[in-house]
Amino acid sequence: MTSQRVSELELELAYYPGCLILQRMPEYELATRAVLKALGIELRIVQEAACCGAPVAESFTADWIYLAAYNLAQVERMGHDTVVTLCGSCTNGLTRAAQALKDPGVCAEANRRLKPLGLSVTGLVAVKHLVRLLAEREDDLRARIVRPLSLHSVQGKPLRVALTNPCQVFRPGDVMGANDPDDPMRPQSMRRLVELTGAEVAEYGGEDECCGATLYLAAPKLSLAAGRRKLEATWNQGANLLLHGCGNSHLLLRRFQPAILRDAPELRQQALFLPQLIGLAMGLPEEELGLRKGMWR
Amino acid sequence: MKHPEDCIECGTCVTVCPVEMVGAHAIVTFLADPDATDYSVWLCTSCWRCHETCPAGVDIYGLMMEQRRRERAPARYEDAFERVRASGFALEVSQEALDQVRVIWGLEPVKLPPPGLVRDLLCAQK
Repeated sequence: MTSQRVSELELELAYYPGCLILQRMPEYELATRAVLKALGIELRIVQEAACCGAPVAESFTADWIYLAAYNLAQVERMGHDTVVTLCGSCTNGLTRAAQALKDPGVCAEANRRLKPLGLSVTGLVAVKHLVRLLAEREDDLRARIVRPLSLHSVQGKPLRVALTNPCQVFRPGDVMGANDPDDPMRPQSMRRLVELTGAEVAEYGGEDECCGATLYLAAPKLSLAAGRRKLEATWNQGANLLLHGCGNSHLLLRRFQPAILRDAPELRQQALFLPQLIGLAMGLPEEELGLRKGMWR
Repeated sequence: MKHPEDCIECGTCVTVCPVEMVGAHAIVTFLADPDATDYSVWLCTSCWRCHETCPAGVDIYGLMMEQRRRERAPARYEDAFERVRASGFALEVSQEALDQVRVIWGLEPVKLPPPGLVRDLLCAQK
């Protein structure tokens, strides 16, 4: 009964498209929409969104707050009080900006800058990363798992998932985790979501180690070395699938794999985004999850 | 760079830093040893682990960003910031290319921010 139930709760939430998803990883947005739709949630994209400001603009000017405030103002103009994010860095930047806007002086200056654009901001928008949004709906999700991935295999071996927590979603805990019981240093919500699908989670020790993507702008070699460290650890623990809840980790650990593993192609790993894995376990069609047909059956 | 007064030089931050784990030195090296010079405030993954674990509650991330604004940035950072100012994003994209991507993937159309928007927001006259 429950698994066939059509969700009675229809909810519309704003969705902030960060640069990576918008331009490089549309499959992450597609799979997110498919999974949320099954849960009765529709995403409305924030039009004319710009860079969140962190960490690039933040490295040059304290005024980066107003760039983030612009994006929050666009969400407020849509009449929404919650904006969904898919990457760690924009979740972090927008949340810290919303916090900063609680200062009346900062808020007044933001509004002064936004006025010529016909916008205003209060900073009362809640910024919610997909992992948190899904973690709030664990029971609903559990009821919709119709193809548990415990039976799934990768090249003849049981699926063993090496997840990377979207680090900036959880830290700093006093700002990012104000209403969340999860441990900012060892968050468990993404892991619980993977376990819901029936897939085994590999304990490879790198779950909370940063992927290194943000280092790329300053030091590409170090960034790739950080990725290599993680990839080796996933192999050492018999993992056969990387799982990401952030465009940055997918960029480094999946898209840059050829550069990371130039001398060790045998260490290559497949990678999915969290909603792709969940969607498979929900029995959603691969094409709705941005996956090539036949690859995951 | 001035060593923060509330730092107790315990080095906890060094033990959790992913930059230190691959043999390079971030701001945490300077926090643990105020005499250190072989570190860079640009070497950071923004993972906030040092900030979160600091037993003295030092605003490590804030200190690092303040120092970055005083220093010359690595060229790639400069370029990325210039793209943010010009186009609204650190990764440049055209409306035409974006429209194509959205159609191919069956996603709702999305408009990019108007050119010059970011420059105006960041450089607003007092």
